Amino acid sequence: MRRFASHRPLVRFVVRRLAALVALSIGITFIAFALTQVVPGDPIRANLGQIAQTQPDVVAAFRHHYGLDRPLPVQYLRYLWNLLHGDLGQSEQTHDSVLHDLGQFAPATAELAITAMVIAIVVGVGLGILAAVRRNRPTDHALRLVSLGGISVPTFWLALLALYVFFFRLGWVPGGGRLDPGVLAPPHVTGLYTFDALVAGQWSTFWDAFRHLILPSLVLALFNVGLLTRYTRSAVLEVIDEEYVQGARAKGLPEHVVVLRHVLRAAMTSLITVIGLAFANVMTGSVLVENIFAWPGIGQYAYQSATALDLPAIMGVSLFVAIVYILVNFVVDLLYGVIDPRIRIA
Amino acid sequence: MRTAVPIVTVLAVAVLAATAAGVAQSASRASGTLVVDNSFVIRTTDPQREFDPTGSIVAHAMYDTLVTFKGSGTKPVPWLATSWKATNGAKLFTFHLRKGVVFSDGTPLTSADVAFTFRRLINIKASGSFLLANVTVSTPNASTVVLRSKVPNPALTRILANPALGIVNSKVVKANGGSDAVGADKKDKAEKYLDANSAGSGAFVLKQYTTNQQIVLEANPRFWGPKPKFSTVVIRNMTAPTQLLNVQRGANEIALDLSSRQASSLKGKSSVQVHIDPSPNLFNIDMNMSPKVSPVTSNPHIRKAVRLALDYKAFAALGGPGSIQAAGMVPSVFLGALPSQYAQKRNVQQAKAEVAASGIASPTITLTYPAGLTINGIDFGVLAQKTKANLAEVGITANLQGLPVNAMLQQYAAGKDQMTQSYWGPDYPDPNDYQVFLPGGTAALRVNWKTGMDKPLEALGKKALQTTDDVARASLYRQIQRKLNADSPFIPLFQPSQAIVASKNLTGAVLNFTWLIDVRSVGTR
Repeated sequence: MRRFASHRPLVRFVVRRLAALVALSIGITFIAFALTQVVPGDPIRANLGQIAQTQPDVVAAFRHHYGLDRPLPVQYLRYLWNLLHGDLGQSEQTHDSVLHDLGQFAPATAELAITAMVIAIVVGVGLGILAAVRRNRPTDHALRLVSLGGISVPTFWLALLALYVFFFRLGWVPGGGRLDPGVLAPPHVTGLYTFDALVAGQWSTFWDAFRHLILPSLVLALFNVGLLTRYTRSAVLEVIDEEYVQGARAKGLPEHVVVLRHVLRAAMTSLITVIGLAFANVMTGSVLVENIFAWPGIGQYAYQSATALDLPAIMGVSLFVAIVYILVNFVVDLLYGVIDPRIRIA
Repeated sequence: MRTAVPIVTVLAVAVLAATAAGVAQSASRASGTLVVDNSFVIRTTDPQREFDPTGSIVAHAMYDTLVTFKGSGTKPVPWLATSWKATNGAKLFTFHLRKGVVFSDGTPLTSADVAFTFRRLINIKASGSFLLANVTVSTPNASTVVLRSKVPNPALTRILANPALGIVNSKVVKANGGSDAVGADKKDKAEKYLDANSAGSGAFVLKQYTTNQQIVLEANPRFWGPKPKFSTVVIRNMTAPTQLLNVQRGANEIALDLSSRQASSLKGKSSVQVHIDPSPNLFNIDMNMSPKVSPVTSNPHIRKAVRLALDYKAFAALGGPGSIQAAGMVPSVFLGALPSQYAQKRNVQQAKAEVAASGIASPTITLTYPAGLTINGIDFGVLAQKTKANLAEVGITANLQGLPVNAMLQQYAAGKDQMTQSYWGPDYPDPNDYQVFLPGGTAALRVNWKTGMDKPLEALGKKALQTTDDVARASLYRQIQRKLNADSPFIPLFQPSQAIVASKNLTGAVLNFTWLIDVRSVGTR
C-alpha cells in the first residue's frame, strides 16, 4: 500500500492530464469546425469541377455524402459522436477515411521529426556546451554566428538551397520523396520506412530510405540547432561557476566529466523546456520542408486540406497535432521529475 | 570538447558523402523505369470518379476508351471501337468494338462492360458525370454499343476519349461493390478496391498507389495493343522547383509542371529536351451584365472601352515564352478557333471616346481575382495589376479585390463580381464546351447574362449544337466568337504556354490536355 501511495501524485497527475487532453480535444474540434465555417468558401467550389458545380444532382450527392446537407449543429454533434467511435470522417481530397490518412502520413512526419530532433539535440546541445566552455573566445563568436544563422535563415529557402547543392550540384543525396522511383515501401509495421525495412531485413530499402531522410531532416533540424545552441550556452553558463562545480573540479575530475555529469545535468531542466518548444518548431517547419522535398507527411496533408476546405481532414489534423503537443508537454513535465528529484509532480 | 566542431562537420559530410554511392546505384536501378514528376492533383484512381489532371494520366494508362487522340491532337481515332457512325442529327451513335481485347485478368471485354462503365459514370453523380448528360446506352450484341442522346451531341465522340470513360471490367467491379444502377451515388462502393487494384484492359496495371507520394504502374502482359517501351512507370508527387532539378539529373525522366520560363531556362542543355506550345487554357476578363451588381460594367460603352483599353501583347508577354493572344474564347488548338486576324486590337483613343459616350463620370469598378493563385506559372495578381493600369489610362478606376481562391469562386459563382480576372480550362476538346459563354450558359450566368439577353447569338449557339458536320460547326463557332468579341461580358486575353521537359533520350513525350501525357507512347531513342 505504501508503494502504491507513493505513486498517487503521479497517478493523479496522469489522470488530470488525460482529462485535460479530452477537454482540449473537444475544444480543438469546436474551434476547427467554427473557423472552417467562418472562412468564406464552399467545399463544393474546391472539390467539384466548374460544370459539375452547376449540376444540382451532383452537388446534392456530394453534400449528402459528406453530411454537408445537415444543419451545422447536427454536423458538429454527429462528428463528435463518430469521434467517440473512432471515426474521424472521410477526407474530401483523398476519398479515404481521415484515420487511414493520418495513419499513413503521420509515420512519414514522425520519421522526419524524430531524426530532425535527434540531430538538433545532439548537435545543438553539443555546440551550446562548447560555446559556453569557450565563452568569449573565437569558437564562441563563430558558434554565435552559426546559431544566429540557423535561427534566421528561412526554412523554405534553405531547403531549396540544400537541394540544389547536395542533390543537383554534388549528387550526394536523392532529390525528394521517401524512396527512389521503383523501390517499393517495406511491409508496414510502424510506417517508419527505415525501421520497417530493418525489421523486414530489406537492407537496400533501408539504405534507400535513410539516404532520402538525411537532407530534409538536416534542413528541418537547423533552426533548432541554432535555438538549442543559444539556450544551452546560457543554461550552462548559469551553473558552470557554481560552488559544486568548482568542488568537482577541485576533486580532480576531468573537465569533460565535470561538464557532462555536473554542469549539463543542472542545465538540463531548462533545456527540456526548450526541447519541448523545439518539437513545436519541427511540426511547423515540416509543412514547408515536406512540400519542397515531396515528403508525404502530415504537413503536406494539412496544407492540401486547408486549400481544399476539406473539413474532416482539417479537424483530423488539428486534433492530431493538438494531441501530439499535449503529449510532448506531458513527457516534458515527467522528465523534470526524472532529471531533478527535487521537483515533485503534484 | 575542442574537437566537437570538426567531429560534427566530419560526421555530417561523411553521411552525405556516403550516400553518393547510393545515388549512383539508384540511377542504374531506374533503367526500364519511366519517371514522371507531377504536382499531384488526384483524389482516386477509380476512372469514373477521377476528374483531376494526375488521375487522368493514371486512368488513361490503365483503362482503354472507345476512341482516342494521337499525340497532342483532338481528332478522335479508333481505339477499343474500330468504327462508328453518328446518325439522326448527332443523336444516335453506333460503335463497333475491337475483337480479342481482354482485361488484365484475362476476361474478354464486351459491350456489357462498356454499358456498365457508362451507366456507372452517370449514376454515381461524380465530377465527370456531366460528360454523359442526356445520354443512354444500349448493347444490341456483344460487340456493338449504341449511345442515344436526348439532344444533338456532335461533341460526343471527342468526349468519349476522356479517361473518365475508361472501360472497367464489370464483373470485377461488381464483385467489389460496384454498381451502375440508379442510386449508385449511394450504393457504389468499388472506389476503395479500384484505389488498390486496376480492372482495365489498358497498357498498364496498378502496382501501388500511395496518396500524395507516388503511383507505380506495371506493364499489362495481356495488353492487346503495341507493347509499352517501359515495363514500369513511376508517377511522383513533386513541386515544380524540385522537378526542375530532377529532370536535369535523372535518366528517363519527365517534368510536367514547369512554367514556360523555367522550361526555357533549360533550352540548350544537353541532358534534356524542351517543348513549349500554346495551351488550350484561356485567361480572360469577365464583366457583370447586371446593373444591380455594377451600373458600370453593364453599360455597353464601358464594356467596349475595356475591350479597347487592354494591351493584349503585354498580357501575352506576361504569360511567358510561347504564350499567344487569344483571338476568341475557343482556344487556337480546337475546332472552330478564330483566326488571329480577328483578335481584338488596342485603341486607347477610341476607348476614351467610349468612356465619354457611356455617360458615367469617373467610372469605378471592383476587379476581383484569386489572390495567390498561379496557373501555368502566371500569378493572377500580376494580371489584375496590369488590367488596372490599362483601365486607368482610359479613365476607368479599377479597385483590386484579391480573395482566397475558394472565397473568390463562391462570390463568382453567386454572380456578385463586378469584373473578374478569370480563367477557363476546357473539359473536353470540342467547341461545344464553350457554349458556357453564351447567354444562360454556366459561365454566362456568373455574370448575369441570362437566356434571352442576346437572342441572335443564342440562335447561333443552338444551330451549332445541332450541326454535325465539322466544317459547318467550325464556321458557326467562328461567327459566334466574332459576335462575342463585338459585345459580350467576356474578353479573351491570352492562351499561356505549356511546357514539357524530358530526358534527351526519350521519345513520344508529348502533352495532351485530356490526359496530360500518354505514358504508353513514351519510348527511348
